[in-house]
Amino acid sequence: MARRAPLDSATDCNGFAPLAGKHLLGIEGLDRPCVEALLERADAFADLPPRARLDHLNGLTVFTVFFENSTRTRVSFDLAARKIGASVVNVPISTSSIKKGESLLDTALTLNAMHPDILVMRHPNAGAALLLANYVDAAVVNAGDGRHEHPTQALLDALTIRRRLGRIEGLNITICGDITNSRVARSNIHLLSILGANLRLVAPPTLVPPQISAMGVECYHDMAAGLAGADIVMLLRLQQERMQGAETPSQREYFHLYGLTAEKLALAKAEALIMHPGPMNRGVEISSELADDVERSLITAQVEIGVAVRMACLESLGAPLLGRAQ
Amino acid sequence: MSALLIQNARLLDASSHSDFVGDCLIKDGKIAELGTNLTAPKGAEVVDAGGHVLTAGLVDMRVQSCHPGAAHRETPHRLALASAQSGITSIVCLPNTNPVLDDPELLKSQCAMLAGLPDTPHLRVYAYGAATMGLQGLAMAELGLLAESGAVGFTDATRAIADSLMMRRVLSYASMLGRPVIQHAEDPILAEHGEMHEGEHSMRLGLRGIPDAAEEVIIARDLALLRITGGHYHVAHIGTAKGVALIRCAKAEGLRVTCDTAPPYALLNDVAVRDYDARFRLSPPLRSEDDRLAVLEGLADGTIDALASDHSPQDRDAKSLPFGLAEAGYSGIETLLACGLSLFHGGHLSLLQVLALMSHNPAQILGLNAGAMQVGMAADLTLIDLEHGWQVRGAQFASLSGTTPFEGAPMQGQVIGTWISGKHVYERGT
Repeated sequence: MARRAPLDSATDCNGFAPLAGKHLLGIEGLDRPCVEALLERADAFADLPPRARLDHLNGLTVFTVFFENSTRTRVSFDLAARKIGASVVNVPISTSSIKKGESLLDTALTLNAMHPDILVMRHPNAGAALLLANYVDAAVVNAGDGRHEHPTQALLDALTIRRRLGRIEGLNITICGDITNSRVARSNIHLLSILGANLRLVAPPTLVPPQISAMGVECYHDMAAGLAGADIVMLLRLQQERMQGAETPSQREYFHLYGLTAEKLALAKAEALIMHPGPMNRGVEISSELADDVERSLITAQVEIGVAVRMACLESLGAPLLGRAQ
Repeated sequence: MSALLIQNARLLDASSHSDFVGDCLIKDGKIAELGTNLTAPKGAEVVDAGGHVLTAGLVDMRVQSCHPGAAHRETPHRLALASAQSGITSIVCLPNTNPVLDDPELLKSQCAMLAGLPDTPHLRVYAYGAATMGLQGLAMAELGLLAESGAVGFTDATRAIADSLMMRRVLSYASMLGRPVIQHAEDPILAEHGEMHEGEHSMRLGLRGIPDAAEEVIIARDLALLRITGGHYHVAHIGTAKGVALIRCAKAEGLRVTCDTAPPYALLNDVAVRDYDARFRLSPPLRSEDDRLAVLEGLADGTIDALASDHSPQDRDAKSLPFGLAEAGYSGIETLLACGLSLFHGGHLSLLQVLALMSHNPAQILGLNAGAMQVGMAADLTLIDLEHGWQVRGAQFASLSGTTPFEGAPMQGQVIGTWISGKHVYERGT
């Protein structure tokens, strides 16, 4: 556990480096003090005025390399890096030699030769971020690797909850949707467990791994049972192809059984809040009315907090690099 | 007449369960006499075995030759070198070459070519014929003509014969020819897009799982078909507890069923995948610890008949990829014997059991005149130092591809010399 920054001022960057390793590849393996230090720091950043610019990572270069389409995550990292003073290069993949069959490692070596300080990567294959980390000098941030992890999404979810409810310990949090194929679910299960939440999953058996109890969570197939007493309902995106007879029979059956509606939400606590990592399928995971309910939905807050969380993550990886350079 | 006397050897023959210290006299490439205090004929070469183990050369019943069609993964020359220095004197090649060994003439010329390369140690080479044309599972290959050309069995190599009716017909037709059908027992639909064994580790790693049921359903179905067709059914690289249990029951029932496994399934489990290291991407996947223990039990009680290298070399590029994109396979020839011996050193099997799994048993399964050290047989022999310790270094393999899940593992037992028909094909230190 590295030194903790004085938290009275987000503009002070003295030795903030809670990520003991050189990379942020996943939540699994992080400890509670490390996670809480990151959240504290992000919390301070979230309180900065929207136009604030910091110089903590001046001189560092962040590359974002997304092998899967992404708008919100990529923009969020881009903005976070700029706000904390780093230069940003968004490496376009869809128009580059990657499409011509260059391997991930060749791409890594090419990018490495340009000496990025931090590489933010999303890739469709689990483990790709670890592979990259083994071959480049830069610190690697995993922005999603296949079905494995998406650590910054989990951190921003946790901070969103904390800022709204003041704590995470002891909350009943229900995650509902496609658990099997979701990296967001995996990272959130790890993180919310570390932070002491009572976690429940709700999904049809075809969308939840049979070994899920090994993760220390309760699993329900009946949404009503899974929602009872919930403080937070976290919905996951269901991909179109999974609703057309492959893993669930149809979109309308999924919405009937697992789509969040006002009636179903009434089974949770009276003030229960709704979260979704986006992009949403309205009328599949969630009714349109609820998605737009500013009293109950934290969905836009999640996006807003995401920038602050990524600032904290980039800083914790980048600040030690600056220390070395000086 | 040429003669060779190997003196002072621990003579171990799995086919006759014999184990004594003595001499082996070889005349004209055949074993002429086995006994104590044999006299060397005039002009005979005499070798002192130093009390080390002399036994029949190993018979590796599952090898991807990669020739023709994949010279970047393995070459015939390197394959023969690797075999000789690993005590392997006979190999049986899978038909998944390019072109596929579904053509009788190709199969015949392939075996002859691989066995007779210039400036290369001699090696006895056999091959399986494709069970279906192009290994596509749609039309039966010319099994009769392939058998006449030397095919020792039929298989679709790394693919399961998935269609039940096709499997029934292949089993039925092969029974007439007296050749086994070798099945890669993995349901292709259940295993589709699978990256590793389905279990807690695949869940945590976010890798797509291949359930153990993928092996179980194919074996169970095939056994049901075998009861209709008769014939000889052989499961390759068995790796699950459920699969081993099915074979055990089928043998008790009296069905003509055999199976083999490969060292990774007896020595490693799915925990190895934890860092997404593509060296551990194998097909079938490394299974759970319970499965591994069941494989050990199956080897010990004779349910599993043979241990094969499952040599399936992959070049470095094919392994330097995210786990799910990397090719499955490993270079297995050079660790086969040492891995087998680790089962002896670890107290799981007797030395004769280990040697039988890699010589006599596979020869019996495939009807090869090999794998035994008896008077009158060709002098295909290997001399083994049981105790010699070494560490696996894929970069030092004779095989073209050095990717191995045993990288860095300590091994005990090494080949000192190998003979085929009494001719030296390998001598340690030369």
